[in-house]
Amino acid sequence: MKDKIFILSIFLMLSILGLGLISDNPLFTANWALISVLFLGLVITAFFRSFERHSPSAKEIALIATMAALAAAVRVPFAILPGIQPTTFLVMITGWVFGVQSGFVVGALAALASNFFLGQGPWTPWQMFCWGMGGVAAALLARRNTEFNLQKFTILACSWGYIFGWLMNIWHWVGFIYPLNMKTFLATYVASFPFDTLHAMGNVVISLTFGKTFHHVIQRFKRKITVITLKENEN
Amino acid sequence: MYAYKEHYKLFQSLCCEVSLSYIAAVVLLCLIFSHPLYLFSLFLALNMVILSAGIIREWLIYLKFSLMLIFLIILVNALFVHAGATILIQGPRIPIIGTIRITLEALCYGVGMGLRLLVMMGAFCLLTYAVHPDRVLKALGGGRSKTMLTLSISLRLFPLIAGDFVRITEAQRCRGVNFQARDPRVRIRKYVPVLNTVLLSSLERSFQLAESLQSRGYGSTRRTCYREVLRRPRDYMVIMMILLGLGYALILILSGSTGYSYYPRLQPVKGAEITMAVGLGLFFMFPALLNWGWERCRFLKSKI
Repeated sequence: MKDKIFILSIFLMLSILGLGLISDNPLFTANWALISVLFLGLVITAFFRSFERHSPSAKEIALIATMAALAAAVRVPFAILPGIQPTTFLVMITGWVFGVQSGFVVGALAALASNFFLGQGPWTPWQMFCWGMGGVAAALLARRNTEFNLQKFTILACSWGYIFGWLMNIWHWVGFIYPLNMKTFLATYVASFPFDTLHAMGNVVISLTFGKTFHHVIQRFKRKITVITLKENEN
Repeated sequence: MYAYKEHYKLFQSLCCEVSLSYIAAVVLLCLIFSHPLYLFSLFLALNMVILSAGIIREWLIYLKFSLMLIFLIILVNALFVHAGATILIQGPRIPIIGTIRITLEALCYGVGMGLRLLVMMGAFCLLTYAVHPDRVLKALGGGRSKTMLTLSISLRLFPLIAGDFVRITEAQRCRGVNFQARDPRVRIRKYVPVLNTVLLSSLERSFQLAESLQSRGYGSTRRTCYREVLRRPRDYMVIMMILLGLGYALILILSGSTGYSYYPRLQPVKGAEITMAVGLGLFFMFPALLNWGWERCRFLKSKI
């Protein structure tokens, strides 16, 4: 179900933005800055609502809060280096080990919490969405692998460096550029390419350096907090 | 460690819901409006409020950062949008960009959108530096919402983790580990055990935190919370002005005067639009005007 929501939300976002590129439709002149913010708000709210409904245990709450604080704290020393984001790695490794919901919540909260220290901006909801989706993507990849696969994880982390930048560019493109056509779309993306490459390369280096040890530590902790209850056979 | 700084100013003393409503209203309006006059009027009003909130130094940092983004907005619009009719510069054909054709309309659009960005940045600057994060969390349902509880815990853990990192790095330094190695690969390798220890200690702490939450009855029943919200006349006055401002903006939107056509030629500005923009600015300037009276008139201060 969560896979479907993830794919559907990405598909919806891309198709609506795609429609905006075609000049002969009523959506061409729509206020995309407002629509994109509303759409983003809906996706983030949907994930948080599902987190609230799932009634997380005290251990889950403490763990998610700790990972979000850690992901937020590592962001601060790297804030002066544009592109290098260890937060992406931490969110993705959490998503890989703990699943879709924890991955998204850790990513979204890490962005929000770190911005209370670094400064909030119009980028905050977009960062919440992008990092949250990074956690979701890692969790979905983990479902297809029984063991931790560093190679696949690193490739995903590298790709997410670019996807993160491309998603973040959307607010810049829809909010401040007109007309919304392929030319201006590519121009906006080309401008951010060096930063996205730095982000992707940073993710590769961090994943290769810390990937195995961090996965081992978090996995061990997951086993420690997991409680398996056995039902007594009535017969 | 928060970016927020306490000042004895009216905006900081407002009820959190009122401050958040003001910020949300400004962000919403700047997303809806494309007319540079209205955006400029909002920008001026916001600057007055920022000035009255005593966060001008912080706003200058935001401004410096915004200028970089505005330059990018103007550059992309000027180089890649050829929709304008008033050509300022026409140059040779460049492979990816095509023929260089910078138009006045594209430049003006870039400036107009730069103004929109500045308004947005101003609103978020107020949110960061003039509204206490703890009050924001409480206003957003910190008592009952599990998401807000998680966020609140992570905000408390943030300085602890940062402190852990410094403590462990210093301990390693005392053992002779050189973190200043010239080779970045060597330097990163030296940080591996530090970060592993930070991760381990944070996770152990989270285990203790969970036990502490459980021992205090978390999950046993529905969470309850007690929150006393002090609403003073100043809160009612500001919220009234925000509502009036939004109502006024709605009338402007329905009359169709908030949009602005940049292409193919710049739409001429009417005198009535300037008056209407001033009116809008006055509504959103109100917290700054009230602060002015609040600081100078003791009677007013005691009454609101």
